[in-house]
Amino acid sequence: MKKLRIDMQALLFLLPFLIVYVLFTIWPMIKGIEMSFYKWTLIKKLKYVGFDNFKRMFQDDQFWAAVWHSTIFVFLTTPTMIALAIGLALIANRKSRLQKLYRSAFFLPSILSVSVASYLGLFMFQPYTGFINGFLHALGILPEGKEVFWLTEPSLAWIAIAALTLWWTVGFNFILYLSAMQEIPDDMYEAASLDGATRGQMFWRITLPMLNPITRTILMLQIIASYKVFLQIYIITGGGPLDSTRPIIQYIYQTGFRKNDLGYAATMSYMLFAILLVLSIIQYVISNRKEAV
Amino acid sequence: MKWVYRIISLAAAFVFLIPLVWMIVVSVKEEGMKVSGTVDWFTPPYSFAVYSQIIGGTKLLQWVWNSFFVAGVVTILTVLIAAMAGYAMSKIRFRFRSVMFFVILAGLLIPGEGIIIPLYQVAKDMHLLNSYQGLIFTVLASPMAVIVLKSFFDGIPNDLIESVQIDGGGTWRIFLTIMLPLTRPALASMAILTFIGSWNNFLWPFLSITNDKFFTLPMGIPTLMSQYSEDYVKPMVINTLSSIPIIILFLIFERQIIKGISLSGIKG
Repeated sequence: MKKLRIDMQALLFLLPFLIVYVLFTIWPMIKGIEMSFYKWTLIKKLKYVGFDNFKRMFQDDQFWAAVWHSTIFVFLTTPTMIALAIGLALIANRKSRLQKLYRSAFFLPSILSVSVASYLGLFMFQPYTGFINGFLHALGILPEGKEVFWLTEPSLAWIAIAALTLWWTVGFNFILYLSAMQEIPDDMYEAASLDGATRGQMFWRITLPMLNPITRTILMLQIIASYKVFLQIYIITGGGPLDSTRPIIQYIYQTGFRKNDLGYAATMSYMLFAILLVLSIIQYVISNRKEAV
Repeated sequence: MKWVYRIISLAAAFVFLIPLVWMIVVSVKEEGMKVSGTVDWFTPPYSFAVYSQIIGGTKLLQWVWNSFFVAGVVTILTVLIAAMAGYAMSKIRFRFRSVMFFVILAGLLIPGEGIIIPLYQVAKDMHLLNSYQGLIFTVLASPMAVIVLKSFFDGIPNDLIESVQIDGGGTWRIFLTIMLPLTRPALASMAILTFIGSWNNFLWPFLSITNDKFFTLPMGIPTLMSQYSEDYVKPMVINTLSSIPIIILFLIFERQIIKGISLSGIKG
């Protein structure tokens, strides 16, 4: 009887979580499997189609192009994000009267709503009237009368999207690096400087190795987060020019809600799921190894 | 050498702040202003005419309120139910505990974006589309928060709990008077991350809401922008109005927010 009472007590505390977890996470996961075997529209379930949706996915060039675009985004933003976050943390970690200003300035963009950040990017990168071209003119880098068409040239569009994303999201990783740097004991640097080490040597031999654990965590979380990219690209380029920047989630959305094909959209979501699952497992293994060391 | 550092630092701060300065300055310019050089952005005449036009003529303020309301309720409920579950997992020795732990841990691997299409169908079946309930209830389950809070509860010594039990205190009293107060930094950290996540949640409101009464900012802003693509003043007024409340909130709670994020790195 006592055992049962304890079980009931635990259940009482777990129940609110379990209800929302089962209804809005577990159940949709199962529902998604069902949907991927059907022709399923926004209005209703139509008919069972077996593995047709899966076959179609593996032959769908547009889908794989979208997977590739999301992958480009991951490769563009992840290493730059880590380098930038470390650089900014180095700046904000130096003793200076402006230390607080630096910290606030680097984090402030992170609190903007994703739409605000994206529209700021869109308007800043406009040719003729945008701020960035105007600024380049003022500095004399861009000759008067010439314009950079950031958003209509695929490779430049990627640079614009990546730059905006870095500006908007680097704040979190910057804070993580800053607090990791402050954990490094001062005597390590003092001992090194007694041995005649230069500032550069201290950075490469002490700071960077000491940041290794947090870098591994940030690296994987960043990769996973970047695969979910959607709104910045949707607002800044609309997936264009000519679908050349369209990411996975935008293609899934358009298939489901514009082409009225939820069944196929659910199938492709499962592929995204699979990609993220593999990455999450890698992340889990890496972060557990960190504890073992 | 010192000067080089200082110039690089100032330049970086400048690059990070200038888009925000630009946003605010352009928002108080007169509509239809001429731009022929960088200086034009920052010189008078200024005017607040567009502000009253946007406040009076659109639902933007309603959406700011919706965003705060949804994020606030989501934050309180998410942290509360995660703390309850984390407490049960950490301190109540019930049967099937390891099974339950595995079930929750598995949730870490399920990405919200991967199940959003079937979630739409589930919410539709439950008549949750186009409602605050649909915006709030669907995002409350955070296995991450449960596991992080459990690990913090694990650090609370059992002696403390026993001393309350000797006084005749039950599970609820232990939870409310020991567990929650002693893990306040962790709870705050989870709350801040949940708030920012909800504040920026775009995909789910975008799919589940079509009535503009329930729009949140991330999805409301684009519907206004499409009408004003030629001019810079209106978009920047919209951006500024949307950002001022959260910027003020950030400046007030900056220390706690920074601490909360640092803490999440240690456990992450």
